[in-house]
Amino acid sequence: MKAKIVIIGAGISGAGIAYNLANKGMKDIVVFDASYLTSGATGRCGAGIRQQWSSKMNCILAKKSVDFFETAQEVLEYPRSVEFKQEGYLIVATTKEEDLQFTENVKLQQSLGIPARKCTKAEALEIVPHLNKDAFISATFCPTDGHLNPFTMTEAYYLAAKRMGVKFFFNEEVTEIVVNDNKIEKVITNKRTVETAMVVNAAGGHSKEIGDMAGIDIPVYSENHEILVTEPVEKIQGPMVISFSLNIYCQQVPHGSFIMGRSTADQVRGHDVGSTHEFLDEMAKTAVHILPPLGDLRVVRQWGGSYNNSPDRQPIISDCSELPGFYLACGFSGHGFMFAPMTGLLLSEMIMGEKTSIDIKELHMDRFKNSDFTTYERNVV
Amino acid sequence: MRITEHPILTFEKKAKLQFVFDGNEVYGYEGDTIASALHAMGVKKLSHSIHLKRPRGFYCAIGNCASCNMIVDEKPNVRTCVTLLKEGMVVKTQLNKGDLYD
Repeated sequence: MKAKIVIIGAGISGAGIAYNLANKGMKDIVVFDASYLTSGATGRCGAGIRQQWSSKMNCILAKKSVDFFETAQEVLEYPRSVEFKQEGYLIVATTKEEDLQFTENVKLQQSLGIPARKCTKAEALEIVPHLNKDAFISATFCPTDGHLNPFTMTEAYYLAAKRMGVKFFFNEEVTEIVVNDNKIEKVITNKRTVETAMVVNAAGGHSKEIGDMAGIDIPVYSENHEILVTEPVEKIQGPMVISFSLNIYCQQVPHGSFIMGRSTADQVRGHDVGSTHEFLDEMAKTAVHILPPLGDLRVVRQWGGSYNNSPDRQPIISDCSELPGFYLACGFSGHGFMFAPMTGLLLSEMIMGEKTSIDIKELHMDRFKNSDFTTYERNVV
Repeated sequence: MRITEHPILTFEKKAKLQFVFDGNEVYGYEGDTIASALHAMGVKKLSHSIHLKRPRGFYCAIGNCASCNMIVDEKPNVRTCVTLLKEGMVVKTQLNKGDLYD
């Protein structure tokens, strides 16, 4: 089998890249996934869409991605709703340092056209009345942030890409990338060999291993981040409530369930996506501290998923200086779902040799060659 | 219906417990769960399906399935199949997913 390009990974990034390439007229696009559509980080994510970041690049990626999500259903001609609910993110500050940082963040966000604003405690309590008023000092709010269904959104990309001729192969694992004379020649899976000169690494939690197959050392690692979901109740909370210092994000999804997550201290790096009682314990304590009425809810399920972390917690959307034809969409550090429209657009522009819609030098893998890269995304749970 | 005679087991008559079900004074017996008392009265509809509001009745009887969720003493989503009946309880049929606070 021959292909113009092989995309490894059928999460939101891989599906989005495939759609964008096909939309630009590329033929013979093949996507492999070791499991099923959204089986990795996409289907395990917190489903939040946020534009309130501390780094300029993340703000721009998020803002432009939200612009796409707002029209995604029509543009992709998806027969169902993608379930984009824009009721905002309320980010609470619990320390003086956070309060000052958030003032700076909001200035940056506003300068980029993101409708975020600083809120007093009283204003925040108007937006989410059941917040514990003693648990925070101020907040920021962006009304166009929100919640999006990862399964419908990915399927929307998938179906649109398929209509334009992209071939998807599921339960098919890439086992080898054959490189000769610094040129990609073949991709070998557990079922077939594909002749191709171009490969996109959109393998999420496994992108480091895919890099190794091509002989490229990508400075990313994976770690498990756990989530839980409660039984559904009638709607009481519109926005996602999030705190970096308390280590929590918590949102009531349209169905009525609350989804919440936090990161675990000293998490061992690797591909484990299991669940722990320690997480359940700490998560419950944190949630009840900041949103007390949630204590009456039962937890119905918990699970884990991989964050693929980059050194500066910004994505790597990049070609590869060492290996022509090798493209990277990885290191999203927990935020690949919400950036996917820009990931797909930018990478497809780069692959087609077009000028990218925004300057993405800052997202190139080579930024880590100089140990003095200056930006670091602080707003990560 | 309750079993009164059995070839091996005996059922001693226990104390009556008054409670309120959807505004009516009714009673069960000590040792009943809320759902067993309602079942004995012939109440088959305990809750409703979330989307189509179809009737839902006694199902798993071990507190797992949420089919018997009712409002008990103002608290929504109480698993009535595993909640012991107490004198004076106010039990209501729940029509929505449950209001976290009223």
